[in-house]
Amino acid sequence: MGSQKRIAKELAELVESPPQGIVVRLADESNLYAWNVYMDGPADSPYYQGKFLLNLSLPIEYPFKPPTVNFKTKIYHPNVTNDDKGSMCLGMLRADEWKPSSRIHAVLEFARQLLAEPMPDDAIEGRIAEQYKNDRKRYDEVAKEWTRKYAIES
Amino acid sequence: MSLSDIPWNHFGPINHLPTRHHSASGLYPQHPHSSAFLDHGFTQLSSAFYHPNPHFFFNMNTLSTDEMETFQKLSNEFQANVQGPAVSARQSSGAIAVEYANADPAFVTKTNALAVTHPLSRTMKGDGNCGWRAVAFGYFENLLNLQNMLQVHRELVRIKSLNVLLDQTGQQEHLYEIFVDATEGVFNQISEAIQNGIQDEGFLVNAFNDEYNSNAIITHFRLLTSAWMKLNPHRYQAFLSLPLDQYCATRIDTVRTEIDEVGLQALVDGVIEASGFAVEIMYLDRSEGEVVTPHLLTPTRPTAATICLLYRPGHYDLLYPAEPTVNMEPVVNYQYAMTSNYSPWDQGALAFDVNTSLMSIPNLMMDPSFGMAPSPMPAAPPSPYRVSPPLEVYQSPMHASPPPPPVSLASPPPPPRMSAPPPPMSSLPPRSSDGPQIRLNPLVMKPNLSHSLPVTTPFKNSPYNQAHFQNQDFEPIHWEPSDSRR
Repeated sequence: MGSQKRIAKELAELVESPPQGIVVRLADESNLYAWNVYMDGPADSPYYQGKFLLNLSLPIEYPFKPPTVNFKTKIYHPNVTNDDKGSMCLGMLRADEWKPSSRIHAVLEFARQLLAEPMPDDAIEGRIAEQYKNDRKRYDEVAKEWTRKYAIES
Repeated sequence: MSLSDIPWNHFGPINHLPTRHHSASGLYPQHPHSSAFLDHGFTQLSSAFYHPNPHFFFNMNTLSTDEMETFQKLSNEFQANVQGPAVSARQSSGAIAVEYANADPAFVTKTNALAVTHPLSRTMKGDGNCGWRAVAFGYFENLLNLQNMLQVHRELVRIKSLNVLLDQTGQQEHLYEIFVDATEGVFNQISEAIQNGIQDEGFLVNAFNDEYNSNAIITHFRLLTSAWMKLNPHRYQAFLSLPLDQYCATRIDTVRTEIDEVGLQALVDGVIEASGFAVEIMYLDRSEGEVVTPHLLTPTRPTAATICLLYRPGHYDLLYPAEPTVNMEPVVNYQYAMTSNYSPWDQGALAFDVNTSLMSIPNLMMDPSFGMAPSPMPAAPPSPYRVSPPLEVYQSPMHASPPPPPVSLASPPPPPRMSAPPPPMSSLPPRSSDGPQIRLNPLVMKPNLSHSLPVTTPFKNSPYNQAHFQNQDFEPIHWEPSDSRR
């Protein structure tokens, strides 16, 4: 089937030349549709030095539906749900904005860019967004604290 | 052609089918670029302000944040429950007339007329891709109908060569190749069908009802359209309310965004036009007129095939026009001209002012009242948008040289089909003012022979015709060029 052909090519490209600060592996060698993504927290962000594990899951309808991205590492961020799912759904990841010509490479870059620059106006966690906008210092502190606690192996 | 020809005003007040589908998993708040639902909500809100009934008054402030989040989530997750196949089988257009039977009289008139001029239609699923799907399916269906291997091959090469457009606009082959593969698969299916003498389009319907296949083909056509627009911005930018790149990103490159007029014109210009096919839209709306408003998207030119779309606000289906030129061809005449030793007939038998389309109705000519009709009636209202009106009046034999029996060349050859309007009534031979308005065969007047009115015998498909295989005295027609081509 065509979608597997395309996923395989995209994976090969990502393994060979990944975007900066990102490493991609299949979660299970026998399943092309579930990926593990290891993402370094960008410099100049409270997530710096953290290593975040994300699950990228491709729907069977890919590329006609967008991949879904979940943070498996807990993260304090206005655009990531503060629960055990850690889901993130905005911009190009939304089904009505997704383009079949987009590539996963761009999805991963988008996700990492979101760590550097949260989008509080599209927040999923309203309280964190409030804090980000009104009390950036406190937000930075908590985000750093969570990063140290959950994303940095001691 | 220029976009300025597009009738922009064909938007009736009804909106049968949802044009947007919010299928994203629900998260709050809504992304600013996809706030169609909210806009809609506010429209309702403002109208609620003026509603006389206070129970209809609806105030956002009374909703808690949680409630609003819940509504937002519901609206984001809303996906219209559209039933039925992506592409239906061909069905009678009478169904469309029935649908509108209780609607505005303008719709009733137009849909009834439509069922005559375009007796068949094919429904596209209203899932946001109907316009794209209608054009793509119509394209492949016409290609199959033409049964021309060479053309199928030429079209495949042409469509694949359009990959250059994708490359020029920065699309990467490893991302788009699966879409091109799906399109190529359909071309191959068509080639195979033609080779095997298959004319039934069932396999195409199946291909377009396969979700992956259908999505891939439509995405291919979308990407080609998008690339074409980006490479020809001067033709489209003036008609867009937002920058062309943004238009393509939000309306063309997406998965389920309905096609609009500009996008449709670009699809036709960039992908379909070079095939030589015509694309015509029939606008069904409440504008003035008795018939749907036609609009040709391709240049006026002779064409082997036409993709005919039915547009109702927010939705496209496919239409199939009647083929009057085939049915109305004076077949009887040909048949007569081909036989040289056809005994049951004498020349008088051909001397009717025969309306060929009426002749196809069994027993009609038996009706004595028909003979009293002042003039032959057209079987169907002439369609105003047809370039060449169907030949409606049988050519009378008056211009021919005195026909010797048998009546081999009693009438002049029919005019070429693409020629002028139907011959004016004045070309008919003068009639006597008394007596029936048709010149009856003398045999008709003989009571003993009334059971075998010769009127029935000329019908090609009648068993009374000696040339019909069910006739007792069946005798195949022998075509003799010396007799018919003098």
